[in-house]
Parts: sequence; structure tokens; C-alpha cells
Amino acid sequence: MINGGFLVGEALVGEEPEIAHIDLIIGNKKDAAGIAFATSFAQPRQGHTPILAVIRPNLPAKPSTLLVPKVSIRNLEDAEKMFGPAQSAVAKAVADAVEEGIIPKAQAEELVVIVSAFIHPRGKDYQRIYRYNYAATKLALTRAMQKFPGIDKILEEKDKSIHAMIGFRMNNLKKPPYLEVALDIPDWRRVEGVIRALPRTDAIIIEAGTPLIKRYGVEVVQKIHQLRPETVVVADLKTLDTGNLEARMAGDATADVVGFSGLAPLKTMEKFIEECKKVGALSLMDTLNVQDPLEVLKKLPVKPDIIELHRAIDVEQIQNLESEWGNIKEIKQMCDNNVLVSVAGGIRVDKVEKALNAGADILVVGRAITAAKDVNGAARAFLQRMGVEEVDQFRIMTDF
Amino acid sequence: MGEEEVNEEESVFHKKLKIKLKEKGKEGRILFLEDYLDYLIRDNKTIPPDFPTFVREIMGLDERRGFIHIRIWHENSELVNFAKKKDYEYKIDMYD
Repeated sequence: MINGGFLVGEALVGEEPEIAHIDLIIGNKKDAAGIAFATSFAQPRQGHTPILAVIRPNLPAKPSTLLVPKVSIRNLEDAEKMFGPAQSAVAKAVADAVEEGIIPKAQAEELVVIVSAFIHPRGKDYQRIYRYNYAATKLALTRAMQKFPGIDKILEEKDKSIHAMIGFRMNNLKKPPYLEVALDIPDWRRVEGVIRALPRTDAIIIEAGTPLIKRYGVEVVQKIHQLRPETVVVADLKTLDTGNLEARMAGDATADVVGFSGLAPLKTMEKFIEECKKVGALSLMDTLNVQDPLEVLKKLPVKPDIIELHRAIDVEQIQNLESEWGNIKEIKQMCDNNVLVSVAGGIRVDKVEKALNAGADILVVGRAITAAKDVNGAARAFLQRMGVEEVDQFRIMTDF
Repeated sequence: MGEEEVNEEESVFHKKLKIKLKEKGKEGRILFLEDYLDYLIRDNKTIPPDFPTFVREIMGLDERRGFIHIRIWHENSELVNFAKKKDYEYKIDMYD
């Protein structure tokens, strides 16, 4: 039963070019849906004339259904498709929904449906147009009445879904651990080779290292994304001044994560973090040469999204020391456990377990992968030791 | 990982992309670079960050029996895709 307001349903059915995409609302004549119905009905726009859905001439569907074309009707051919197979399919689906109890029969007179339908201008096959629009309308009505999807379903699915148009899934680093491959080689063609050789998995992050960015500019991030659109790319700027300017530059170059130095003035760090939020990127604080990262974090009113515990390549080569990851838990506590911690500097396959046990979420690996003869094999060795699997590798689509 | 386990397809060694220029000499190189830019623009690809260096490299390379030898690091390099798409005669060799 719909007692007040309206319900919303959506469904995509079929294959291109006749693919049917239906958005609809169903609600009471006396409420917003009724007002929208009457307003739309009385105010047709060029190319988007709303019409009553009829099962056959002189037999409109109940609840009364208004069909609104999404794509502009440009000529008679477009009009025939929309007002022929599409509208009769919509009308039949509404009537069948009443018969099948999807819409309460008792409310057939008091409800209205507004259906927004998409028909591709290149769609030709009337059989497919009819069947796809019939199925999509009935599915959208069912979903509307069941209030599908519930908010828990949306929260579960939002990080797993591959968008039909952009063709990849945005990764917001919600499922650690991750392997961050640091590209410090200032030679684009070699970098391209490494990127092409890396396994395609959500567990890999690519870092545009500081030397690479210094050589080619931050635009190199965009070129990396062109090779691997689905992969999170870190712009390791190590910003020390002009925090908002540099964060904006990296954001504009499509960086997903942008790094600043924990040695920067407090104001620079604050502006950097704020700007990252504006451009939709995650902020990363690099602790290279920072004596006490906790002290720095204490002073920051808004914490960065990622803290990188970092040992310098120069120090690593001279001292041959192992990285220390002793204070990861304290760092996480200070950030209300709402932070990722990455560890960088001399990470090799045999150190993976130790780093993960210490609480690291991201392992930053450079030459152990990029300088390997078999880049793919070296990366897989790390991933295997980390025990990661794809976000939806074992998922079966059953419900929609 | 032992030498014998190296996956040759995914290994990142210097490789030679040998491309036959469609015209000899300086004009052939300029035509090659124009073709490469045309490929990038038409395919809506971002210009490679090393393009200025690449131009100097192409203009300065020796021509060996009509071929120029360009260093690449992967068999699926964008340059290989370009050569295929623009109908250049090419072969890929490992560096000595």
C-alpha cells in the first residue's frame, strides 16, 4: 500500500541498441506524484511530449500512467518506436503488475505512475523494444513497491560495482591490505613497461614517485590512469609549501591519493588536507625524516587519510637497517582508527608478514618489483604472501 | 625467483622495436612523428610525458636498412599498438 508520498523504481533490461532503461515514480494522485503527473501532462516540451500509456487505443492502463521520453523525439521514426512498442509495453506491464498483486488492485484508481523511458535512436527491432520495456517497467514497479534497494544493500554494493559506462570500479581503499608499487624510475617507457606487466587486481596501488613527477610533471598521473583506469594512483609530491596549490594540481591530474611531507609547516598540511577533500582525493602524510609522527598528528585538527611510515632510500642503502613499525597502533588510535597506515623502505617478500602483523594496511614496494626481471611474478609473490583476493572474485550475481 | 622462471611476456627488459619508416631520411621521421601524434589525438590518448625527449631521439636515430630501432620495455607498449594501427612494418627483438 502507498499511503502518502511516492516510491521510486529503476531497471535496465536487454542489450544494445534496443536496451530499455526505465525510471519511474508511483504515488497517490493527491500527493506530489499526482501534482507532477498533472503538471507534466499539461506542459509538454518539444521532443519530450508526455503521453498516457495505453494497452490499445481507447484502453489506458490503470493506475494512470504517463510515459515521458528521455531522449528527444526528433522525427516520425523515433515517435513510432516510443509511442508504439514502448508505450504499449509500459501499459501492459502496469496492468499485469496490478493483476499479479505487485500494485494493490484496490489502489488502481488513486495511484499514478510516471515512467521515464529510454530508447536509443539506433534501436530498430520492435520485438526487442517491446519485450525489454515490458520487463524493465515491471521490474522497476516491483522494485519501487519493495523499496529496493535498501540502504544496506547500497552500502554493500557501492564499492563493488563496475559502472556500465566508465567500465571500471572506483577503489576507495576500504579493503586493505594493499600493495603499493612505487615507480621511482624517471624513464617513462620503462615505467610504461612496468605498469603493463603488473597484474590487474584491486589490491595493487600505483605510486607516481617523486623522481618520476619531477621529471615529467604531475600530468604523468593521468597517463598512468590511461593505462590502468581502475587503479588507485598516488601522486607522491612530498609537498612542503603551497599545500592547497599542489594538492589541487595533483587532483586535476586525476590523482586518487596525494602525498605531503610531515615536515611541512602545520598550515601547509592543513591546507593540503582540506584541498584533497575538495578535489575528492585522499591525503597522505609522508613521515620521511619526521622524528615523532604522533606529535605532528596531534597538532593536526583534521587528520590525513593515510600515514606513510617511510625510510629513505639513501638511508636504507647506507645503513642497511630494517624498518621499524612499532607505533602503528598508536597512530591508528590517535586517528580514531579511521586511517590507513602504509610502510615504505626496504620491504621484501620475507618482511610482508611482519609488516602486516604490526598493523600496516599498505605495503610500499619499489625496486623489489620494478627492478625485477619478472615484474609480474615479483608482484604476484607479494600478493600471495599478503593473502589478498579480488573484491568480488567469488561473487555470483543472483539478486539483480 | 630463478632465471628459468622468468615470464618472458611480462618481463621488463630493454627490447628493440624495429619500425620501418614509410619514407627515408628526415622527412620519413617527421612523417612518423606526425603519424604518432595523429594516433594519439584520434584515440584520445594523453601525450606521453617523454614526448619532447622522444622527438629528439627519433630525429637522431640511425637508420638501418630503412628501420629505426626504438627502445621499449614491454611487448604491449603504446608504440607497438601505434605501429600496428598505422600499418608500420615492425618487429620486436631483445637487446643484445
